[in-house]
Amino acid sequence: MKKFWALFFWFWPLVALWVCAIAPQNNWWFPSPPLSSLGHQIDGLFYLILIIVAVTFVGTQFALGYALWQGAVRTPEKKAWFSHGSHKLEIIWTIVPAFILVFISLTQLEVLAKIRVLTSFPKDVQNAPVAEVMARQFEWRIRYPKPGTQLMTEPRPGDLYFVNEVHVPAAKPAMINLRTQDVQHAFFVPRLRVKQDAVPGLIIPVWFEIEKAGEYELLCAELCGWGHYKMKARIIAETPEQVTAYLQRLEQEQNEDGVADEQASQ
Amino acid sequence: MATITPAVETHSHHDHSHEHGHGHHEQSFISKYVFSTDHKVIGIQFLITTILMLMVGGALALAVRWQLAFPWESMPIIGRLFGLFQTEGGQISPEFYTMLFTMHASVMIFLVIIPVLAGAFGNFLIPLQIGADDMAFPVLNMLSYWFMWPAIACFGISFVAGGATAGPGNGWTSYPVLSDIASAAPGSGAAQTWWLFGLTLVGVSSMMGSVNYMTTIINMRAPGMTLFRMPLTIWAMFITAILQAFALPVLTAAGFMLVFDRLHELLPTSIHSGFFIPSGLVVNNAEPTVGGGQPLLWQHLFWFYSHPAVYIMLLPAMGMVSDMLSCMSRKPVFGYKPMVYSMAAIAGLGFIVWGHHMFTSGMNPALGMTFMTSTMMIALPSAIKVFNWIGTIWDGNIQFNAVFLNCAAFVALFIVGGLSGIFMAAVPVDIYFHDTYFIVAHFHYVLFGATLFGVFAGIQFWFPKMFGRMMSDRVQKLHFVLTFIGMNGTFFPMHLLGIAGMPRRYADPYLHGYLEHLLPMNQFMTISAIIMGCAQFLLLGNFFYSIFRGEKCGRNPWNANGLEWSAPSPPGHGNFDVPPVCYRGPYEYSSPEADAVGQDFILQTSPPPAGVARTAVAAH
Amino acid sequence: MSKASGLKTLSLAAMLLTASAGCSDFESSFAPSKRTLALIPEARTGTPDAPGVTPLVDQHFGDPQHLKAWMKLPVEWGGASAAVAEYSADSVKLRFNLDEETPLPETAAKVLFTSGANAGKSFDVAAWDVATGEATLAAAPETAPEAGDTCSIDAGSLLQNGRVLYMRHCSHCHGTAGDGNGPTAQYLVPRPRDYRHGVFKFTSTIDSSRATRDDLLRVLKYGIPGTYMPSFLLMKDEELHALVEYVRFLAMRGEYERKLVNELAADFSTKAVEETRKDEPREAIVSELAEFLKTDMPELAETAGDELAETWTTAEAEESKVMPTVPRVPDTPESRRRGRDLYLSKTLNCANCHGIDGAGNGPQTISYEKNPETDALYGEAGLHDVWGNLNQPRNLQTGIFRGGRRPIDVFCRIYSGIKGSSMPAFKNTPHEDIWHIVNYVLSLQFESETGVSGEAPAEAVAAAPADSQN
Repeated sequence: MKKFWALFFWFWPLVALWVCAIAPQNNWWFPSPPLSSLGHQIDGLFYLILIIVAVTFVGTQFALGYALWQGAVRTPEKKAWFSHGSHKLEIIWTIVPAFILVFISLTQLEVLAKIRVLTSFPKDVQNAPVAEVMARQFEWRIRYPKPGTQLMTEPRPGDLYFVNEVHVPAAKPAMINLRTQDVQHAFFVPRLRVKQDAVPGLIIPVWFEIEKAGEYELLCAELCGWGHYKMKARIIAETPEQVTAYLQRLEQEQNEDGVADEQASQ
Repeated sequence: MATITPAVETHSHHDHSHEHGHGHHEQSFISKYVFSTDHKVIGIQFLITTILMLMVGGALALAVRWQLAFPWESMPIIGRLFGLFQTEGGQISPEFYTMLFTMHASVMIFLVIIPVLAGAFGNFLIPLQIGADDMAFPVLNMLSYWFMWPAIACFGISFVAGGATAGPGNGWTSYPVLSDIASAAPGSGAAQTWWLFGLTLVGVSSMMGSVNYMTTIINMRAPGMTLFRMPLTIWAMFITAILQAFALPVLTAAGFMLVFDRLHELLPTSIHSGFFIPSGLVVNNAEPTVGGGQPLLWQHLFWFYSHPAVYIMLLPAMGMVSDMLSCMSRKPVFGYKPMVYSMAAIAGLGFIVWGHHMFTSGMNPALGMTFMTSTMMIALPSAIKVFNWIGTIWDGNIQFNAVFLNCAAFVALFIVGGLSGIFMAAVPVDIYFHDTYFIVAHFHYVLFGATLFGVFAGIQFWFPKMFGRMMSDRVQKLHFVLTFIGMNGTFFPMHLLGIAGMPRRYADPYLHGYLEHLLPMNQFMTISAIIMGCAQFLLLGNFFYSIFRGEKCGRNPWNANGLEWSAPSPPGHGNFDVPPVCYRGPYEYSSPEADAVGQDFILQTSPPPAGVARTAVAAH
Repeated sequence: MSKASGLKTLSLAAMLLTASAGCSDFESSFAPSKRTLALIPEARTGTPDAPGVTPLVDQHFGDPQHLKAWMKLPVEWGGASAAVAEYSADSVKLRFNLDEETPLPETAAKVLFTSGANAGKSFDVAAWDVATGEATLAAAPETAPEAGDTCSIDAGSLLQNGRVLYMRHCSHCHGTAGDGNGPTAQYLVPRPRDYRHGVFKFTSTIDSSRATRDDLLRVLKYGIPGTYMPSFLLMKDEELHALVEYVRFLAMRGEYERKLVNELAADFSTKAVEETRKDEPREAIVSELAEFLKTDMPELAETAGDELAETWTTAEAEESKVMPTVPRVPDTPESRRRGRDLYLSKTLNCANCHGIDGAGNGPQTISYEKNPETDALYGEAGLHDVWGNLNQPRNLQTGIFRGGRRPIDVFCRIYSGIKGSSMPAFKNTPHEDIWHIVNYVLSLQFESETGVSGEAPAEAVAAAPADSQN
């Protein structure tokens, strides 16, 4: 029975590792490869930590299991090892993890700066948000500037409105202004590895560079009330020309007066 | 409960306590077992209360899991038993779901984990392990327990104050402005106010405990019990009490600020503050808000308490597990002083890492970098402790009982929780994982995997001291296996859900196409959770059965070294029949000294050869 | 789903407490309206030889688990119609005509005969081949179907899908019966729509007409800004379609119930029986009711159904649509100024509710209104809608337009009013004038841009009471 317990503590980490190993092919992994420029770096950092963590996990769990195994197979006469510790070991296992942790920490800084520090945003997006994404319970209200103008903080005549769908140019950096009309929300685009809280009272710029044209889920990641899970939206990345065409369509639709449209469609 | 104090033991302590000048007279049932000032009774009261609350919190968790596995299907019990959701056929509403996870967390954190560690074990063990006859302030101690009940009542009222299906629903973090403006959510009205009152009362209770623990540990140690002869449990309780005493006022203040922001919803003429409400918000079609508040302020204040609180919820368990591992391996704790220093380091660093909960909040990026580094560094003392625990059992004469198994599980699962924490410390990676199930997995590995397994071990280990009887080891082993398997089956897949990008607090994640395929995995997790939940009845049954029918035991059934084991089981009023004097550290298992008397343990009270004893007393 | 339900059974079994609390699932139901509940019990449930309101409604609409299709109603029930080409009794196989205009569905689970010897009977399909149009039935019909018999394949599937989606996305606010009284509803301002009047606020139809499918679809897709009705933009088209049909079904069900109650409320409500008819013996009232239910009610119910079918069909007709006769007047300062004059004019008197500066604070918002259902004054000042909720005139300065911000949307709001609310229809106003008002209203959000001064003309100030400026 003692051996059973030792094996038990060896067995479950193996199961855990096995589950992780089969996770990607079962779709229990990232929803897709990262599809933004920063996403690659973020995933790189994730895998770096994952390797370090996996090695530590295996090492410590094996050691734990081995200690149990030792205890399970020993004869009762054998006395326990009378030891109060080892100064040398303590120093080793303080310094080595400390180096590793500092190392991990340093590798993060550059990406963090790119994500968050406005001055290290790509130059051409710094002052040119594509749209304002206004979160509210429980949808995303989008406001584009009138084609040919800059986005202002307050709505301007001719601004274009839509809901739950943001069109941004692909293959080049794009920035949006994130804000909220009521409570706190968070702008989460899993495939782009982008997440930013929308804090009441603040306007927060968020940038990303989507590599491929396509549709990307956008959802809320900060509890915002009963309909938190309902904030389903999408980002549509397309060529800049398509974005312009889309905005023209939107402008036309927004000026719909029920008369011109009849003639145009017939 | 009458069987708790066997008559034989009571006599001996009567004489003893008179010597100590305890004003001692026959106590009525009420003053002996209900409004008792005896730290042991209070500890046991805390323990039983928290075990019951554990079942409540667990039931709420199962309801959460039910919705995630079978979204919008008729929820068992809720509709039938409470008459809710009749026309919906038992299909719960989304705000009911927000209530479920909010109250699950609130009950588990504030009514189970914090009080079971500091309240139950802290109270029971501190005087016994340092050789005191009671706490420094027995009445304060009693009050700290009796303030739990108003807190429980407030939490109870909060379930129904805002309507039967709309309890507090802002998460245990209660971020404003959702929690601040009463109309922002169904649970943000009176329910939220009552929840805040409950929180404040729990804080009052904890604070009274903390003050008492610090004073007792500093002032009331037995002769010879130097600081570095204290068991690690006591060190942990000491450090926890300090953490609590310094962090808690911030939460209490923040709680009052939130209450002031909200109270005008209840009392029209009262304070109309707006600490956390910025201007111009339009919530639930009301007039735009006025004011110049800052919602991030709450996050700072809240996490300034709640991050240290994570360690409040962990350190005592770490200390207890160190004690038990050492005893069950018949070996001294490996690196006693590094263990103490690392706990102190965790506590110190614990105060400067709160910002890692706010990496996506739009806080100044420079702060983000600082918090990242400090958060990384807090992994270091945790790592040292893990290595030392493994060192402790290494080449030990391991007793494979449920106490040991639970402790080993503590170490094994704490490793998982600790390692997953590193992902969260790294800001860019955390940005992806923030508010996903990866976080849920992480803190359940720490709080359930580590703390609760430590508690399970501690209950069994100190049970003989509490009641003079043993718990059934066989049942505890069965409980351990089922809980361990259920726990991993429930929480390990959460890592994968998090990586797959499943946000937490979603009543219906499958609304989003990229999460649809995770339903079967969630169903597997729910079944694991149900198994785990059912297994707790084994613990409950074993606990209450053994109080009355367990195998009787002597003073030191585990052959342990601590001072508490030199007292009768259970100790009478005043604890020790002979005033204890401490001659050595608590972990001298298998020492040559013990060998000399033909055993593998040596009580802290056993006098050593003459020369050593004198220095010990002198040192005191 | 069978795997999922297997797992569910497993975990149900594991849940010890469930056993004591009762294992059987209880089901959702259509709650009767308040007015139905105000009838005496016999009127509600019926007398021994004639059904009352509730059975009559159930007879045509069923309950949430067993919906019924009342074929005369203009609801798309779902299901593909097909005609039998051949039946082979040996292999229990039906072959359907392949028709390019009405293609057969990709999947088929049930075949319902709508004509022939088996009319009204439904058979399970064991195997289905869409290419050849062959369906192998699970059990052989007693009388063999003949060529030319018409069938509906998977009849009612659309409505069923609609119900499933509705229960997942909508019911917690709008209620299982569409009564706007789900568990979440009480916390929302404004309250979610109660469909049972058959009235929807934001439509593209003239004031006397119901909402069209497109109107409902628009609200579903784009939400109603300023309320808790979110946008369901990303739902699949067929899902939205199913939801729209189910909402229309619920609206018609509610309206039908209303119409039936209207026939009985005056004489057979509890209030009437206890107050106005308290001198009559109860047996006499009940036997009068029995007589009425038996002789008059069936026909009245039938007529009510016909009326429903007609009003909802007309709504989709071209002549019900609001059609501006002139295109939008260019949005110039002059036009806005003209719009403002009209807004403040005595004939249109928009300021009476919306306030002279459009802030939604006109004098009507502080006067007390009479509740038409109870004939008593409402407890709070302000305008009320047909649902009895406080109906705040829109603050036009916020830039939030619930019915949409396109000029045509605002035009419709003015031309046909907002149905169910106190916003009247200005259908006699020249369309050009409406466009001027539209231009003015759309400019209110940007005060400095309007090109008009903030002061009201003397005429309007005189018309509006002084306290409206508060």
